[in-house]
Formats: sequence, structure tokens, C-alpha cells
Amino acid sequence: MARMKFYCDAERCIECNACVTACKNEHEIPVGVNRRRVVTIKDGEPGERSLSVACMHCSDAPCAAVCPVDCFEITAEGIVLHNKDTCIGCGYCFYACPFGAPQFPTDGAFSSRGKMDKCTFCAGGPEEEDMSAAEHTKYGTNRIAEGKLPLCAEMCSTKALLAGDADMVADIYRKRVVNRGAAAFSQNRLQQKANFQPSPSLNGRATQESGVQQWKPDTAN
Amino acid sequence: MRILWLSLLLLFSFPAISNAAPSMIQQDPGAELWNAVRDRDGADTGQIRSQVKGTDSTSLINRAGDEWRHFRMGQLIPVAAKLLGFTLLTILFFRLLRGKIPIRAGRSSQKIKRFTTFQRYVHWITAILFITLAITGSVLMFGRFIVIPYLGAELGGSLTFIMKRIHDFSGPAFAIALVVLVFTFIKGNFPKWVDIKWILKGGGLFGGHAPAGRYNAGEKGWYWLAAGVGMIVVVSGLVLDFTQVLELTGVGKTRENMIFAHWVHSISAVAIMAASLGHIYMGTIAMEGAFEAMQTGYCDANWAKEHHDIWYQEMADKDLLLDTHQAHTHSQEPHAKPTKATN
Repeated sequence: MARMKFYCDAERCIECNACVTACKNEHEIPVGVNRRRVVTIKDGEPGERSLSVACMHCSDAPCAAVCPVDCFEITAEGIVLHNKDTCIGCGYCFYACPFGAPQFPTDGAFSSRGKMDKCTFCAGGPEEEDMSAAEHTKYGTNRIAEGKLPLCAEMCSTKALLAGDADMVADIYRKRVVNRGAAAFSQNRLQQKANFQPSPSLNGRATQESGVQQWKPDTAN
Repeated sequence: MRILWLSLLLLFSFPAISNAAPSMIQQDPGAELWNAVRDRDGADTGQIRSQVKGTDSTSLINRAGDEWRHFRMGQLIPVAAKLLGFTLLTILFFRLLRGKIPIRAGRSSQKIKRFTTFQRYVHWITAILFITLAITGSVLMFGRFIVIPYLGAELGGSLTFIMKRIHDFSGPAFAIALVVLVFTFIKGNFPKWVDIKWILKGGGLFGGHAPAGRYNAGEKGWYWLAAGVGMIVVVSGLVLDFTQVLELTGVGKTRENMIFAHWVHSISAVAIMAASLGHIYMGTIAMEGAFEAMQTGYCDANWAKEHHDIWYQEMADKDLLLDTHQAHTHSQEPHAKPTKATN
């Protein structure tokens, strides 16, 4: 069975925040809740990089481990879902999560925490019927049930954000790394300093679907 | 030559490519990326910014969370269960060993006013809130192991939700009650030399007589524990209840601070719960004549003589011993202030 994973390519993310906006719009998320966010490090300095972060759908999910009511359910595809009927809004998952994925709308008196909300990998909730109105109100669109991948990754303009079967994501990423290495090599520079535009004459681009092509030295170089 | 040199460089720079083995790259590139992020630990990330404004939204990795997870699941819950269970077993063992401690001289015809009506009300309000908080808090801590498996997540979740709400709302009330309690009972609770004697004699738990004033060293210990540890529980609990406080006071509304408050709250709460079991046992079914003092405000004179001899002597010297009938009338009319007449 495929294992669903997100991967954000820091070399490609341009911090456009479209994933954040698309997610909010698609799932009609209340104000103050952010299932996805883009974090920029070394902002305005050389080496600036951005990462789009949401629930990573961990295999050993800390949120599921600490939940006092056991409201989490990890699907066969490795998607970490939570049941909002069971959730008590204690915030323990928020404490334990390394990525800051669990979010809480303020609810009731003294603006205490409401039911937790986090990225569902666009797979709705565990207890409601797939693609039902109730599920949409609680968890947002169930794109997985529609046979689609998460919207944030699907509409990412630079394809920095990848979502889907972990093996496929890894394959795509591996090809990119190969191309980058080749590009850096062709420019005779360190990888960090290279611009990742391979020269048209360069051999060794990982263009073949069957796998990575062996790099061959270009005599013209 | 240059090609050779570059090929060597390539060997070191991109081992994955030079081996042409895709398996050399970790299967999950995400794990690789996030391990790298975690290793940097914000040390050289320069200015971090995010358009999303929220608690810790600029923090990429929260390392305290994992430590907290292992503390809660691996240490706090098992140790708390063992501590509370061990305390209960000790009490049970003691009960089987000593049985109910009677008033050896039998009940006397005289009673002594031990607590004012106000003291009793403060005590019981605090006690009810404490027990409410202890039960609801225990459900939050142990519920996953003792409630959810039997009631199921749906029903158990709803029940725990109510428990959590009760916990959240009783907390601030308990905070006020505890402060009032601390001031109400402060008189007579300061340590004295006689307390050391009492402790050396084991409080008379193992037979023999241990001298005590109005409160014995055990009661004083419980008072100061309730005051000290109770305050820690209250303050950390209020922080968890009203996390906005962290922002307003400039401490910072970060997960690390909330986690720290939870550490403090849970450890001290478990400690005070274990201690309270002893207090509840001693105050209710452990001995004859103890519960009625907090129930009616009056204690039996012989009980006082046996357990609080110094205080009994004081009261006797002040001629504050009331006969049973008198005490009964007064306890029926709490507003009558029986001490006024005798003072």
C-alpha cells in the first residue's frame, strides 16, 4: 500500500503562500486556523530558503501517542486523521507535534481551545461518510475520495510542494537532485552556488522515465 | 586531466550519483530534510518569518514536544499510577494492620468547638473543588487507559470533554478557594518544637502517644503542602487555562512555555493528589471522632485529649469545653456563634 507523504523542496519554494491560501479556501477553514504555513529562514539574506509546512502524517505520530482520548486514526495510506467528535481540545497534540500542525479555533468562554483542526491530506475525517456535507463542514473537502491529491501540492506553481505516494515523491526528488548536481557540475561550481538551470548541451539529465541516466563527461566542457 | 579531477570531485560531492544507485538516497527525502532542519536547531537560520501569524508559526521544529511526549507517556502516567496505587495500598495495609482507631476513653459528655462555620464552609468548598479537579484531571491523564477502552472513543471522548470543561472551570474557582483556605487556617499551623517530637514518634501511627497542639505535625505538613504545592498547581493550571497570560506578561506564548507549565502542573498535581489520599483517609474513616469536627465544627473532648492534648489543655484552661447538648444546639444554629458566649 502506498504511503502518503508531503515533501517541500526548499530549492524551489518561492514563498508565494498560494498553498496556504488554496488550503484555506478549499476547506473553508475558520480565521485563526492555519493548516499550512510557509516559513522563510534567513529572510532577506543570502541563502534564503522557504519551506511549506503542514501535518507531515508521521508514521510514529506524536499527536496520536499523547491524545488523552485516542481520537487519531492512521489510515492504510499513512494519513493521520483525527475524529472531531472525540477531540476534547486539550492541546496535547499541539504540544507534542514537532511541526506545529495541530491548530485550534477559539471556542466558548475565555476563548478556550475548540476542536483541533489540522491538515487531513485532503482526506476528510475518519468517522463521517466520504464526501458528505457533514464531513465537508467538519474537515473540508475529501479530495482523496475523489481520487485527487492534496490541493496545495497540486496547484503549487513551482512544484516545490510534492504530495503523494512516498516512493513517487522520492523518485521525483531524486531526479531533481541529480539534475541539480549535474547543473552545478556543468557550471563548475559548488552546488549551493549553482543556479539550477542545466545547460542545454549537458548530458546526464535525468530525463528518462526508466530511471537515472548515468552522467557522462561532456568533452566540450 | 581536468575531467579526471572533476570526476574525483564528483565522487565526493555526489556519492549517490557516482554510484548510480537510487537507493543511496534515503527513501523518504522528507526525513532527510527535516533531520537537517532539526540539526541546525535554529542556530544559523538568520531571520525567520512566516506570513501566517500564530503560536510558534515561525518555529520549524519543536524539539521540546518530543521530550514532553516521552515524559508524559513513559514517565508521568506510569509513575503517577504507581504512586497513587502505592499510596492506596499503603493506606489499605495500614487499615488492615491497625483497624479503625477508636476514642480509647470512649465518648465524653463534652465537646470542643474546633472549627468555625466559615472555616468549615471554606474547607468543604475547597475539598469539593479539589476532588472534582482530581477526578477530572485523572480522567485526562488515565482516561485513555481506563475510560476509552471500555466506553469507546466516541462516548469516552464526549465524557472526557465534559470532564475537561469542568476541570477548566473549577480551576479558577479552586484558585480563589485555596487562597481563602490558606488564610483561614493559617492560625495554629506554624511549626513548633513539639512537632518534631510528634514526627519522631511517628504521629502515633505505630502506637504510643504523640503530643500535638491544635494541629499535629501531620496536619501542619498537609496544610503547608496544600498551600505551597497547591499554589504551584494553581498558578501553572491558570497558565494552561489562560495561555494569553503568557503573552500579556511577556513570557511568550510558546509551546515550550506551555509544556513547561504542564510539567509543573502534572507533577505537582500528582504529588498533592497522593498526599490528599492520606488526608482524606485520616479525616474520614481512619479514626473515630475525626470527621465530625469538620462536619459539625465540634469535636469530642476525649478525642481532643487523645490526639491534640496540648490544645485540649488550652481549651480546658480557657473553660471552652461545652457539654454535648449545648454544642448540638449551637451546631443546629450556625449563626449563633457559640464561642461568643464563652469568650
